[in-house]
Amino acid sequence: MSTTVAPKVAAGPVAPSGGLLRRLRYLEPATLLWLLLVGALFFLVVWPVAELLITSFQARRTGEFTLSNYAAAYGRQRYVDALLNSLALGALAAAISAVMAVPMAWACSRTNMPGRGFAWLTVLAAFIIPPYLGAIGWILLAGPNSGWINQTWSLLTGSEASLVNVYTFWGLALVIALNSYPFIFIFTKSALDLISSEMEDAANILGAGTWTTTLKVTLPLVWPMMLAGIILVFLETIALFGTPAIIGIPARINVVTTQLWQFFEAPVRAEVAAAYAMPLLLITAALIGLQKLLLSRKGYVSQTGKGGERRVINLGPWRWVLFGWCVVVCVLSVVAPMIALVQASFSRAWGRGFSLDNLTLANYEFLLFGHDAARGAIVNTFVFSAASATLAMALALAIAYVVRRNLLPFGTALAFLCMAPFVIPGIVMAIGFYAAYAGPPLLLYGTATLMILAFTTRFLPIAYANGAAGMQMIHPEMEEAVRILGGGRLTAIRSVVAPLLKKALLGGWLLVFILATRELSAAIFLIGPHTRTISVLLYDLSEEGNFEVLSALGGILLVITLVFVGIGMRLIGRDFMLRRSSE
Amino acid sequence: MSKLVLRNLHRRFGSFAAVDGVDLALQEGEFVSLLGPSGCGKTTTLRMIAGFIPPSDGTIEMDGEILSSPQAVMPPERRRMSMIFQSYAIWPNMTVAENVSFGLKLRKLPAEEVRRRTGEILEVVQMSHLAGRYPAELSGGQQQRVALARAIVVKPSVLLLDEPLSNLDANLREEMRFEIRRLHDEFRITTVYVTHDQAEAMVTSDRIAVMNAGKIEQVDDPFSLYNRPRTRFVAGFIGRTNFLEARLVGDRLGLDGFELPAAMVQSAAGPGERVLLSVRPQSITLHHAPPPDDGDRVSVPAQVVECAYLGEHWDYVVVPQGSGTRLRVTAAPAQRHQPGEAVWVRFDPAQIVAIS
Amino acid sequence: MSENGHIGRRGFAMLGMAALAAPAIARARQPDEITEHQRKLYEAARARNEQATWYVAHYNSETAEALGRAFDEAFPGVKANVVRTTAQVAFQRLSQDLRARVQNCDVFSSTDVGHYIRLKEDGRFEKYVPENIQHVIPSLRDIDKDGYYHTTSIGTVLINFNTNRVSREEAPVKWTDLLDPKWENRVTVGHPAFSGYVGTWVVTMRKLYGWDFFKRLERNRPQIGRSINDTVTMLNAGERWVGAGPGATTLRSASRGNPLAVNYPEDGTVLMISPTAIMKGTRNPNAARLFVEFLLSKRSCEIQAENFSEIVRSDVPSFPGARDLATVKIIRPTDEEIERGIPEVRELWRDTFGV
Repeated sequence: MSTTVAPKVAAGPVAPSGGLLRRLRYLEPATLLWLLLVGALFFLVVWPVAELLITSFQARRTGEFTLSNYAAAYGRQRYVDALLNSLALGALAAAISAVMAVPMAWACSRTNMPGRGFAWLTVLAAFIIPPYLGAIGWILLAGPNSGWINQTWSLLTGSEASLVNVYTFWGLALVIALNSYPFIFIFTKSALDLISSEMEDAANILGAGTWTTTLKVTLPLVWPMMLAGIILVFLETIALFGTPAIIGIPARINVVTTQLWQFFEAPVRAEVAAAYAMPLLLITAALIGLQKLLLSRKGYVSQTGKGGERRVINLGPWRWVLFGWCVVVCVLSVVAPMIALVQASFSRAWGRGFSLDNLTLANYEFLLFGHDAARGAIVNTFVFSAASATLAMALALAIAYVVRRNLLPFGTALAFLCMAPFVIPGIVMAIGFYAAYAGPPLLLYGTATLMILAFTTRFLPIAYANGAAGMQMIHPEMEEAVRILGGGRLTAIRSVVAPLLKKALLGGWLLVFILATRELSAAIFLIGPHTRTISVLLYDLSEEGNFEVLSALGGILLVITLVFVGIGMRLIGRDFMLRRSSE
Repeated sequence: MSKLVLRNLHRRFGSFAAVDGVDLALQEGEFVSLLGPSGCGKTTTLRMIAGFIPPSDGTIEMDGEILSSPQAVMPPERRRMSMIFQSYAIWPNMTVAENVSFGLKLRKLPAEEVRRRTGEILEVVQMSHLAGRYPAELSGGQQQRVALARAIVVKPSVLLLDEPLSNLDANLREEMRFEIRRLHDEFRITTVYVTHDQAEAMVTSDRIAVMNAGKIEQVDDPFSLYNRPRTRFVAGFIGRTNFLEARLVGDRLGLDGFELPAAMVQSAAGPGERVLLSVRPQSITLHHAPPPDDGDRVSVPAQVVECAYLGEHWDYVVVPQGSGTRLRVTAAPAQRHQPGEAVWVRFDPAQIVAIS
Repeated sequence: MSENGHIGRRGFAMLGMAALAAPAIARARQPDEITEHQRKLYEAARARNEQATWYVAHYNSETAEALGRAFDEAFPGVKANVVRTTAQVAFQRLSQDLRARVQNCDVFSSTDVGHYIRLKEDGRFEKYVPENIQHVIPSLRDIDKDGYYHTTSIGTVLINFNTNRVSREEAPVKWTDLLDPKWENRVTVGHPAFSGYVGTWVVTMRKLYGWDFFKRLERNRPQIGRSINDTVTMLNAGERWVGAGPGATTLRSASRGNPLAVNYPEDGTVLMISPTAIMKGTRNPNAARLFVEFLLSKRSCEIQAENFSEIVRSDVPSFPGARDLATVKIIRPTDEEIERGIPEVRELWRDTFGV
């Protein structure tokens, strides 16, 4: 090789001696911050999970290694049944969700069905309603004797027998599905949106009709994404606490989460609960793994990005059939339960239906003026949600930054840690937090700090997905341009990255905020007398079956949520909640 | 003393050596291009100079101070350099003026000076009238000018350009080449320019370093590089050429089916040794009849096998009689031959280079 | 089991007399006289900015909140922080606190007497004999010989029913009537793993009729809620027709125009004696003591009476239409039976009812 270096300088300037000194001199101040982030992740994610695992192998008093917790956790048929119930419930709810969501998604994405915007709003509304409120709404609607539907049925037919009963396995599954089908809708629709019409044209030209094409070409193409959505609903269902607790006891159905709750009955058997939670954790992790595998398979549209031109399919009269289906789903998932809740919230006794002498504002008055705990809970809900949304977004953005810019070795491990809480059901995470931080030395039990940290961890994956997607949009050269001109990394973040990510960050913040305002399962074991939230208060109220006051509190929560959703849609666009942000 | 010295620079990514022992020195005010195909390590080299990537081995020195070594790397923000990126990296959240003045503000200059210098440089790049615009409202060429202004206004010790013109359309690209050269002539900033486009490098540079597979093949001024390539790679990469295998037999260079006098070509090859010749297509001429033998040029009979008309010239492929060698020849538009036609091919020995 | 537990008929005779005398006593709210002792507690509590956190299962949430507010009004500057849940959830949270060694609760009011026996054994209570205990019906005093916990609330578990659906004649008059197949899908009960009232009731029923009672009850597919107060909601809504419910909440709801009535079962109304104790190591000792004094004050009893609770003082009129408990058959297991029984029946319940 011939190199023509102008001067073959005899002895270069001082050889790299005193490397350490120079290294220190060249150390970026931001590096310390990155290390701090690793510490934060360790604190929020690693330690609680590790503690959960350790606790599950520890004897209660002595702390010695033992397998007896596992024996206790699975030593009774009832406990095993609860696990089986959860799995069956998850499968059924996922199946029902798919039946509801897939036709809607297809109609909204590919066809000329009327009212596509309306269908989309339905999905958004169903997504916003906290699961336990939907459950209460359905108790009011489908209580076997007093539910509106059954009352109407008796009135019409004179029959004593009830038409529908929410307190059954199918009832429970349906109520859950009515709240979780938006996941499948979002996954399926986003995949359908990417399929080029040419794919369908290719089938048409070979002689396939619209239905054949849809069933043989279009839907198979989005199958991985659809399945990913179904898996998500399954996981959400088996992790759900509120709905099974409210409907499950009268329905005589015990599931994993309510069984975990029982292990926390005095005397608190956190170690047995930890052991009992392990299979749930493993199942979730395995299915998330499967979901990832499905989504990463090459050749499917979910991965191919823009798919070319798309045309709507003309359905002819069939479009009214699909529209009818959307209306049914809308009524079942949003309109009916909401009317029932609103009616109950203005009633003296909800079973008495619409009548003037049944109308009252007393429930709202009691909550806003007569109930100290309610006011405190409303304030707490806001403060915790805002604080955890801020913390989660800050942390997620910082980690996304470190990972994207390869600032630390094992960056992917950090990303994994950020996403890990996704596989931890809220109630299990709460047990981990309880085991790790409730007692000495930190003594965080019952403090706002613990609630905020738990919420932060719980929603870190969503925040991270948003942060990482945002970071992906920012070309690294944007920052390098700052640095080469003499600005440090932090200057680059402040003057370029943060302003450019404003929208993405705000969207993520609002999403986490809204989800945090309704979070029940992570809160239920961690609240103290001064840190109750609306969701926990709702749960406490539901013990007494005090549905009128409860509905009023739910109404307040929904109004607050709607305000924030409105702000989000205004500032960021109407899609901000329904972007496929969970992955 | 050299302004910027790269000494035995290596960069490995895993087992792949992206930069594999680069030595280069730039004089103060010199404009040097790193030219090579994609993946040759030129951008990695540039980013090591900027401080974005630490070297695996070797050092980078500026004004006698070590900036980068495997042990320690001075962060980019302390190198007093500036850089123009392939994506321009114009910050969309700032106006043109804010973009340009950003570096000056970081240097904590008085507001008055920041304003004055920003105004001046925008004048130089003819962007004064757009100072209040946001980047989204600018064309590609305008964004490029903003990037130039932003990089130059801080009077960097070294200016780095990373394929700055690759995103522009052809006409604009040509215009900007001269613009960059003009700005260099005006400010004399020591510059390293990375490109895969030889025309760009030849227009702008004082010297060009041709890189291949992580190594520098040759560093020379544009004229020498084209006319005296030292390696097969350089000869093939800079312009088009015919590679001809020859063997030195006595005072003749024997080729496939014909021969040339050895004295015509400078070569260090000994008797019987193989020699590789590079013959540019435009150094070969085609003739209908045998051209007069004027002593220092050689003609051989041949046959046209392919032709293509490109507007500015003809491309012919001819095969000398009794030979398997396909020669590419460029001819003026007026000079027309049909495939199958018998022609005479004439070589200009002065334009034949023997490659080691 | 002595039919009246250890309360004795005399106490209820007195209670009954007090009830009879009720109209004679002016209903105007007279502020309790604040004694020297309470004044000191109040000043100390206010000076130290104390507030009493009260884990309470004695009342429904409206009554509990009303008591908390009345305390705030009576002692401005000292706050009561009301945490109303079912007894077992209150105990669960307390246990979580204790396990985490965090002092959240200052005053603990459960309806499961067993909790007190256990917590006292574990040395979790601070001994405090309230001054106001002297005003309490004598038979309700001294439930703990060592003075760690004291009765602050009494109540009943009885048969409640929806009057639109069930006429007085048809309504069950004894517990075993609930087993009649005609009540299939018509019965509502709470859950012993949540409610102390329900727990005590279940222990009592098991004692009277054996566990078979519940196996037969299950044939009627009762609606199972959590709190005993849930039965009132279910009856109000017409979801269920008859229940094993609380006297106070049912009567309170009936007084607000809901179609409800109660029957004091012939085989015995279950009497609930619900104590209150101060937690050891409380960081709000003065507020906690003051709050216990308040729970036994006239004002507190008035509020309870307004909310149709039975009350522990004889010098405060009971709610209008209150049945003299001396005239009904009262049953109550011993404290030891409750303490031992509730954890047992919780498991049996889950085996029988599935939840």
